[in-house]
Amino acid sequence: MTPMTPESNSSAEAEKVVKKEHCENHAECMKLIQMVLDGEAGTEEIEHVRQNLGKCLPCTNGYNLQKAIKEALQFRVEHKPVPQNLADCIKSKIQNLEK
Amino acid sequence: MTADEYIAVRQYTETEKYNIFDGELMPHIQSMYNFAFRLTQDEDDANDLVQDTYLKAFRFINSFERGTNAKAWLFRILKNSFINDYRRKSKEPSKVDYQEVETYYDSEEMAGTSQTTDLRAETVQELLGDEVTNALNALPVDFRTVLILCDVEGFTYEEMAKILDIPIGTVRSRLHRARMLLKEKLKTYASSMGYDTSEESEDEDSL
Repeated sequence: MTPMTPESNSSAEAEKVVKKEHCENHAECMKLIQMVLDGEAGTEEIEHVRQNLGKCLPCTNGYNLQKAIKEALQFRVEHKPVPQNLADCIKSKIQNLEK
Repeated sequence: MTADEYIAVRQYTETEKYNIFDGELMPHIQSMYNFAFRLTQDEDDANDLVQDTYLKAFRFINSFERGTNAKAWLFRILKNSFINDYRRKSKEPSKVDYQEVETYYDSEEMAGTSQTTDLRAETVQELLGDEVTNALNALPVDFRTVLILCDVEGFTYEEMAKILDIPIGTVRSRLHRARMLLKEKLKTYASSMGYDTSEESEDEDSL
């Protein structure tokens, strides 16, 4: 599912002329972008953000950065292995509770 | 303790209790341990916290509706145990600092966009796992928690609201602030490590 990503370099190049350099509403835009990336936005909000990304450079950058950060947390944060005896320890404590 | 995760809704037999415990609760031990470790930032404390949580879960298993969201239920118990039993004895800065940070970032938000523009997505993509983990661990615990729940564990806003006992609107704004804080951490980290954080640079030679 990648329809939200700004287009390839060549078409982004072509669009540069029309994309605005400043966003007067950036804080609000970023809140919407967050909801879209978190999968919490409705169809209308998604469409709104999608159209906006084609027109606004700060929002495009903000979207890409937010997405990169989210993916870093999703896929690259280290997971610690569970200590070997933890599950056994819990189970034996529960057995003892009953006695 | 009035939390509704402890109100009995069922009357399971002993066999059912063990079946639910082994079949629905224990499979989440990996996520539980990692959540506990990220909250306490200490292996022994994480170990104790997970044990306490599972013992409570067993004791109050009649308040768990079989086949429902066991992971969210467990996370909620763990989070409450952490707040009640661990947070006060840890070195973690307490709520005072947290409030200050929230106020500070409220004002940043009002000030507009400057803080979001000078870290590049490409820079973040280059960071290693432990660099991302360190930045996450450096956040105050309430901000760290929402990012763990949302991005690392994949909970929905609604599930997070239940786990944390806060309204969905607060989930949303806390996430927003947490991400701004994390961006700052990543930016500081990236520039201290010599990653390129400027927007316009096309310095291919340094690669």
